Amino acid sequence: MGKFQFLLLDAGPIIKLFEMGIWEAFIEKCDVTISQTVANEAKYASQDYEDICIDLEPYKEQKHIKVVDLEPSEVKTFYEKFNLQYKAIIHPGEKEILAFLINSSEDWKLCAADGAVFRVLGFSRRADQGISLEEILEETGLSQSELEWQYTKKFRDKYTKMGQIDSIQG
Amino acid sequence: MDIGRRLNEARVAIGYTLEKVAQESGIGTSSLSDFENSKREPKFSQLSRLAEIYQKSIEFFLTDEPITENVMLWRDEPNTQEEMKEKETEFRQLCEQYHKLEVCTGEQKKAKLPEPDVTKPEEFDYLQAESFARKVQGEFFLGDVPIASLKQILEESYYIKIFYLDFSGSAISTMSPEFGPAILLNRRNKQWRRSYDLAHELFHILTWKIFRLQNADYCIVNENEEKLADAFASRLLMPQEPIERRIRSNIDEQGHITLDQLDDIAREFDVSLLALIYRIASIFRLSKEDTVKYCDAAERYRKFLKPRASYRPEKLPERYCDLALRALREGKLSLVQFAKYMGISYKKAQEYLTEDEGFTDGKISISVA
Repeated sequence: MGKFQFLLLDAGPIIKLFEMGIWEAFIEKCDVTISQTVANEAKYASQDYEDICIDLEPYKEQKHIKVVDLEPSEVKTFYEKFNLQYKAIIHPGEKEILAFLINSSEDWKLCAADGAVFRVLGFSRRADQGISLEEILEETGLSQSELEWQYTKKFRDKYTKMGQIDSIQG
Repeated sequence: MDIGRRLNEARVAIGYTLEKVAQESGIGTSSLSDFENSKREPKFSQLSRLAEIYQKSIEFFLTDEPITENVMLWRDEPNTQEEMKEKETEFRQLCEQYHKLEVCTGEQKKAKLPEPDVTKPEEFDYLQAESFARKVQGEFFLGDVPIASLKQILEESYYIKIFYLDFSGSAISTMSPEFGPAILLNRRNKQWRRSYDLAHELFHILTWKIFRLQNADYCIVNENEEKLADAFASRLLMPQEPIERRIRSNIDEQGHITLDQLDDIAREFDVSLLALIYRIASIFRLSKEDTVKYCDAAERYRKFLKPRASYRPEKLPERYCDLALRALREGKLSLVQFAKYMGISYKKAQEYLTEDEGFTDGKISISVA
């Protein structure tokens, strides 16, 4: 089985992979790219967990993952495409990674556990570029026990559809 | 997009030195200085970190919109300038977040607030304050005991944003062109003190056009305006007729009322005993000497009383929390944002993301046709 290419990760799935103890196995099977802001957010969010500590710096240095750090103007261009309602909904890490995805010509897949991210993808007519953690784990043969709602395909579909409806209704 | 100027503005607003920011952000002082002087631009991740420290949204640094100035009126400022700036920044951020929640859930509503009958500051006197309090009582349908419903009406019907934080001052009011009217109250104060502060700050909000927009020193509240706000608060919280009725139903044959009975009335109206005595003095036209005598007696009497219970309010308004949860479940607010807005951990925030049988799709609704 080849490596899963062009995969962008949001903070939620990163934390979940560490929680499940399969982060190392996951990056073996996937070419992972994250944004620097997401890396910072994952590190910060993991402070609430007793048993995990997420520091992605060593993985970046050893080139096991790629980390993109955008210029503010690149994010601004992306951000200006949205109306006021959509501008309010996503946090800086997601803004950066979505700006990267939308500015790139490659066929990236973005794995998130956040309704707002899938809603933005649906709204931006990039529904097929979203992917749930459940789908990737199945594809890479890393599936374990049942995942929580926000990591499922059903979750992704629900919020992507909401964004698509917004896009049609304007 | 002038990121440098905005970075400087945000740092000055919160009262931090470059050294303090360097320590918190891990970005060197020379880089921070270069960013502020527009010699070079920070990376987006650095900008995000700085936005976090300055308690500003990332949009503040990315937009080309002019920076809006929000005048914050203090009632009893905190002990230090540092605390004052930090509390103003925290309050402003909470208001901005509240506004964003209203925008993303489509619940951005405005209601016309009552206006005084006069339009110029010099026309406002104690009689005006009294009649305006009466007008507000009527328009807000506050009933006999206004404090019982005042806060809820201000929040739910007039969309005034009311937050509670811990600090050493008393209260803030503001009227922002961006997020509208808002009040900050001190969680540490006693309940009746907060009630009074709420009514006092409401006066500033309702008279903003008169005292702020027509005044070159619009950031400063003069002594006369403060006295008018106090008079308004007193009359709003203790309307003449219900107070008179309570007093008359308690007086003995000689026309006297005990401090015990007065304390019961003060508790019912959620004001201090002293505030009630001043109000009675105004209603029954007591002499200044008698008023001082009764107040002295009340001060002595207070020492023999069991302290009144005072509840500690939640920091965030209920409507704010409801909108945040709704925004999260409708995929209109990311989980990290939700955690930040609610002041909870990311781990705790995840618990709110349960499969909801389609409540948020509108599939489950109640027909009233």
